[in-house]
Amino acid sequence: MSTMMSTSPESPAGGLREIEFRDAIREAMSQEMRRDPRVFLLGEEVAQYNGAYKVSRGMLDEFGPRRIIDTPISESGFAGMAIGAAMMGLRPIVEFMSWSFSLVAADPILNNAPKMLYMSGGQFGCPIVFRGNNGAGGQLGSTHSWCVEGLYSNVPGVKIVIPATPEDAKGLMTTAIRDDDPVFFLESERMLGMKGHVPEGDHLVPFGQARLARSGDDITLVSFGRPVHFCLEAADALAKEGISCEVLDMRTIRPLDVGSIVRSVRRTSACVVVDQSWSFASPGSEVASIVHRECFDDLDNYVHRVHSVDVPTPYATNLEQEYLPNARRICEAVRACLYRA
Amino acid sequence: MPVQLTMPRLSDTMEAGTIVRWNVKEGDPVSSGDVVADVETDKATMEMPVFDDGVVARILVDPGTQVKVGTPIAVIATDGEDVAAAAASGATPSAAARAAAPAPAPAATPTAAVPASPAPAATAPSPVTPVKVELLDATARRGDAPAIAGAPQPAGPRMRMSPVARRMADEFGVPVDSISGSGPAGRIVKRDIEEAIQRMKSGQLAPVVRAAPAGAPSTALSMPVSTVPVVPIGAQAREVAVSGMRQTIARRLVESKLSIPHYQVTMRVSMDALLELRSMLNRQLETQGVKLSVNDFIVRACAIGMQAHPFMNASWGGDRIVLHSDVNVGVAVSLPAERGGGLLVATIRHADQKGLRQISIETRALAEKARTKGLSAEDMGGSTFTVSNLGMYGVEHFTAIINPPNSAILACGAAVEQPVVRNHQLAVGHEMSATLSLDHRVIDGAMAAEYLQTVRQNLENPATLMV
Repeated sequence: MSTMMSTSPESPAGGLREIEFRDAIREAMSQEMRRDPRVFLLGEEVAQYNGAYKVSRGMLDEFGPRRIIDTPISESGFAGMAIGAAMMGLRPIVEFMSWSFSLVAADPILNNAPKMLYMSGGQFGCPIVFRGNNGAGGQLGSTHSWCVEGLYSNVPGVKIVIPATPEDAKGLMTTAIRDDDPVFFLESERMLGMKGHVPEGDHLVPFGQARLARSGDDITLVSFGRPVHFCLEAADALAKEGISCEVLDMRTIRPLDVGSIVRSVRRTSACVVVDQSWSFASPGSEVASIVHRECFDDLDNYVHRVHSVDVPTPYATNLEQEYLPNARRICEAVRACLYRA
Repeated sequence: MPVQLTMPRLSDTMEAGTIVRWNVKEGDPVSSGDVVADVETDKATMEMPVFDDGVVARILVDPGTQVKVGTPIAVIATDGEDVAAAAASGATPSAAARAAAPAPAPAATPTAAVPASPAPAATAPSPVTPVKVELLDATARRGDAPAIAGAPQPAGPRMRMSPVARRMADEFGVPVDSISGSGPAGRIVKRDIEEAIQRMKSGQLAPVVRAAPAGAPSTALSMPVSTVPVVPIGAQAREVAVSGMRQTIARRLVESKLSIPHYQVTMRVSMDALLELRSMLNRQLETQGVKLSVNDFIVRACAIGMQAHPFMNASWGGDRIVLHSDVNVGVAVSLPAERGGGLLVATIRHADQKGLRQISIETRALAEKARTKGLSAEDMGGSTFTVSNLGMYGVEHFTAIINPPNSAILACGAAVEQPVVRNHQLAVGHEMSATLSLDHRVIDGAMAAEYLQTVRQNLENPATLMV
């Protein structure tokens, strides 16, 4: 898909090293494992098979089976075990083949990890990273196409990272591993092959700091993860109609960089939130609520939102495309928000 | 239901229109699109079409007659309706003009007030539907009259406007009654305000002139723009960007001069006793870092004078006069050129309850703050009277513009040593000219004179300022 190859105007031009999204994640994990012996990776097929999506390719060879651990198909078991390890001082990285499979581990990841520091009165922290594919991967059907950020961002104590570029994937993963709190790191199967410039060596991107993916004057598009690229595609199309879109890639939705959103919307007076969660009680609804509160006197229209359609993810390719917050639907929302529909 | 034609608003500034000629007479059939009349506005003569098929039941306004926008001017009986009944339903123009609303207000018979009554059609007119008449501009460019579709209804529903449009309209003084909204259901949106601001800048649209809220500094650019073109004179002419503060000064002073009926009252005040007392006090207080200025005495004299003259410490409220209970004296502070120049009014709160030392300390602190980091809205707001002093520049006499919502301002010149007559003898003394500018809506001349006498007595007997 061409949209996935879109890069931000800030991306350095050619000549610099470009690697795939999946390699950027691995580079961050491997560098941190070399730096810190407490860091280890576990999950289904991460070791012998080099990862179901080859994110952990070669890591077993370098770090051996004590630090790259194949687990049984038992998310609740290995997630809970890793949380125990984190409480006792290790720094696990748990790969879920898909975040859809994390639902069976809801109790440990939502009921234990985010609450541990609070419930133990500060005695036990939980420095753990859960990572895996999130969102519609392409004809995976309703049960394997989950976007979990809507559900999980409701829980206090979690940090939720949704990178949109290879560079951010490395920078945010490094920050996630060094973070002392549980971090949910949401990747997209559709973006693992995306290539882009990624700095070598230590590269950290702080949480709670949005990236200006495209600057513009007429409207602010707020997004994160894969839909950022839908927004950029829409912005290209809208530019031909004389509409200048600013695209903010939030990078993390917990913490959320409210300041960047507010500064942009105060300038443009218009805002569309693009979020591939379902609309009800979603990150998008939260952003809209914040913008309405913080920018009330600056808005020329209510905040428009583009979400996945409020149905289980369809299997058929054409329906799945229409279900997603695609560029066409974003363009429609932008025109409506600017009274140009 | 008969259709009532009303005088359309054919330009932003149109208040009334004159029927130049009727192209139809009562009884004539009309169909949608027919030009029924020529209407003269303040700008041009335009054709007025009708948008219904029917028969002209009644013409309410004769050619040559000027009526207000919204006044019923004719009644059309639509197809199948009784022309006589429709004619009876038309309000007379004078009655409608008095009613000032285009709504159905048939001033006919008392039975019309009882709509439930099943009276005969001829005496119980059915309500007429006011229709909006769209402009077909025969002479002017089409874009000249954009306000037809959204022409305001005098007693219409709440105006729809987006929050940012509302804020911008407020900031820039956009006359929202005169523009139409392009959003859903006529909502006025940002682009409508931006267009209106452009038209204001080019003089096509007059801004709203209104009294600024007390102490609310604004960055508005709502001054009327002169219609005389400004061209640079001389090869070395240059332009200076207008700062937000300069815009605020310009807007507020224009508003003050346009909306307040100013007049001035001047007295000469003998300042010898005060100057002597001031030197003595300053010598004694020097070690305490206190240095009283002449202006500190004037602020104190004005403030304690308010007790007997409450109308000097008041604001015009349109349908009432507000007599303030706090006496907050604004002191005009000029800013140095390196801070962009300009003028601020710092407020000394409860100046009537503060001694000279306190007034002096506060004034110095506010002036210093104004010149270094600028004043907050709190520092500038809430004044009830203002003092402006150019004595330190050697100015002998000047008049000041009232600082709304104050009703008065005192302009003081320098205490100049000059010949004076005392006890029929020529002597030499220090005399200061004190000139009040007043809002005649609140303060009449005799009231101003009495207050100025009080201030003069306070200044000429400065011991009263000490207690």
